[in-house]
Amino acid sequence: MTPPLYIALRFLTHRKRALLLSLSGVVFGVAIFICTQAQTQGFSNYFINSTIGSNGALVIKSRFRPRYEPLMVSAKGSKGTVGPRVYFEGITNANEIMRVSRQFSNVVSCSPVLRGTVSARAGFENATVELYGIDPALHAQTTDILHQLIDGNFDDFRNNTSSIIIGSRLAELLQAGVGDTVQLLAPNGEYWRFTIAATARTGIGSIDATRVYSHARIAQALLQQPSGASMVIYKLRNPNRAPALARHFEALFQHGATSWQDREESTLQLFLTLRMSVAITVSLIILLAGFGIFNVLTMSVLAKIKEIAILRSMGYRRFDISLIFLWQGAVIAAVGSVLGCLLGALMTWGVSHIPIRIRGLLYTNYFLVTWDWRHYVFATLLAILAVFIASYVPARRAAQLPPVVTIRGSR
Amino acid sequence: MNSETCLSCEGIERYLGEEEERVHALRGVSLDIEPGSVHAVVGPSGCGKSSLLYILGLLDLPDAGRVSIESEPVSELSDDELAQRRSKFIGFIFQFHFLMEDFTAQENVMIPMRKLGQLSDNEMRERATILLEAVGLGDKLHRPSRHLSGGEQQRVAIARSLANDPRVILADEPTGNLDTANSERAFELLQNIVQQGGKALLLATHNPAIAEACDWIHEMKDGRIIASHPRGTRSSIS
Repeated sequence: MTPPLYIALRFLTHRKRALLLSLSGVVFGVAIFICTQAQTQGFSNYFINSTIGSNGALVIKSRFRPRYEPLMVSAKGSKGTVGPRVYFEGITNANEIMRVSRQFSNVVSCSPVLRGTVSARAGFENATVELYGIDPALHAQTTDILHQLIDGNFDDFRNNTSSIIIGSRLAELLQAGVGDTVQLLAPNGEYWRFTIAATARTGIGSIDATRVYSHARIAQALLQQPSGASMVIYKLRNPNRAPALARHFEALFQHGATSWQDREESTLQLFLTLRMSVAITVSLIILLAGFGIFNVLTMSVLAKIKEIAILRSMGYRRFDISLIFLWQGAVIAAVGSVLGCLLGALMTWGVSHIPIRIRGLLYTNYFLVTWDWRHYVFATLLAILAVFIASYVPARRAAQLPPVVTIRGSR
Repeated sequence: MNSETCLSCEGIERYLGEEEERVHALRGVSLDIEPGSVHAVVGPSGCGKSSLLYILGLLDLPDAGRVSIESEPVSELSDDELAQRRSKFIGFIFQFHFLMEDFTAQENVMIPMRKLGQLSDNEMRERATILLEAVGLGDKLHRPSRHLSGGEQQRVAIARSLANDPRVILADEPTGNLDTANSERAFELLQNIVQQGGKALLLATHNPAIAEACDWIHEMKDGRIIASHPRGTRSSIS
């Protein structure tokens, strides 16, 4: 053990109240940071996983008319701006697009979907629903629909073309369950009867309140759509690279392609803003803890002026004196961070068991948390930075104290 | 400068304070200290005794003049190098003992050894025990220094000044805060250490009896050494 560390530990342990005060600031700052980040990211991750699991990481939609902008010559007097894209509804060559896109290493699977808005009726209840005409096998590979079923059986749906899967909140709205009949209104005014094979809960309120899955061919006939698909959804190995793949697919297939990041931009921004807001608030707590440590160490320097002069007279360098106070900060930061991480984990576990009934944007019965090691690393780094800044000034001040002045002053 | 000197200074000038309050504390002070000798610096308060000790102890820098340790000039050394010389060559004793209050007697004696870093923890502990036994505190090794009497604290300070086996001991009124019995005891202790260890001792004192017992007496007045006498050649000391 180096002499400055030894002396730092002795100084610290002889001022137990100040040590506890400094430690508690760091411990609670780190713990609250970890806990709040775990919560906010927990909700965010739940939403992301749900939306990717339900709507895919990437979606290819309507074809657009290719524009050869580099070859275009602007009309005289025009500002050179190009008008909006012209889209053609539906995907006519879905199988070809899927065949080509499966060759991309990031693509795990893809599934065509025919989508339309229809009215649903069950008993005396009515609702406007989003009908998703799917290929059951492909859709099961591409989405988390198998895990989202809360009632009924996917095989019953697969084996019965006149069956449907409906969202859990829609089922509540229509007061219908597995085995009940739901009628969907075709554009020609004709009601088609379906049996509910299963109900699914994605966890996202807007999906669960409107989503109905049927077989693609049945949906095509009901919606009277000429094309077999209005979109192709993708499951990706690395969903974070979806935006780059979307740009590539747009150029390749001349169809509009949207990544989940673009699709859910507003919601994701909401979560990000919330996380940043909480992070800033908690960082201020850690900075306040740092300010407390600054005060404690400054008081310590003032209280130890005599000891500093003694040490200097015995051959301790200015740097050694600085190190004594920096070590005190380092010990507080290290012990505070370790205890803070443990308390943070405990608080996160505790919070994840708090019952909470959310039935809005998300569906959950408990606080959602994410266990992410980066929260612990970031909280620790933040604590170390705050404590270092808080220790540096008193340490520097201690090193600059001229020992002779202290010794003379003590006469 | 004598080639056998272990500590010397030449033409030391030192100003203290700023502007109107500026005081010319040392005016061309020169001094040679040989191993095995005991030097006393006497003079009225404010004559520059302590300032001289701090400069010789490398705690303060002169505005002019030269300090040498074993013929090596040290005035131009960096702060870190001065600290290293201080750690190795010089032992300090202050009037108010200046112990680390939270540390035990043994730990106080070990502090300079820790800095020098030449001994293991056990060796340091053993040496501290020997030094404290030498000053009669073998039974109070583990007592916090704040729980020791004034005389005991000063003896711990003496033991601490010897921790790194320095060539020179500088003592700034080491008995100034002690009663007569303790003063005599502390001074005898220092004398024995100097004689047995071949060290040099320079002490600033107001105590005439102690000064008379030293090998050399240097009288200071207004920042100057006005007279230096070997033992027994001076009639009285004010």
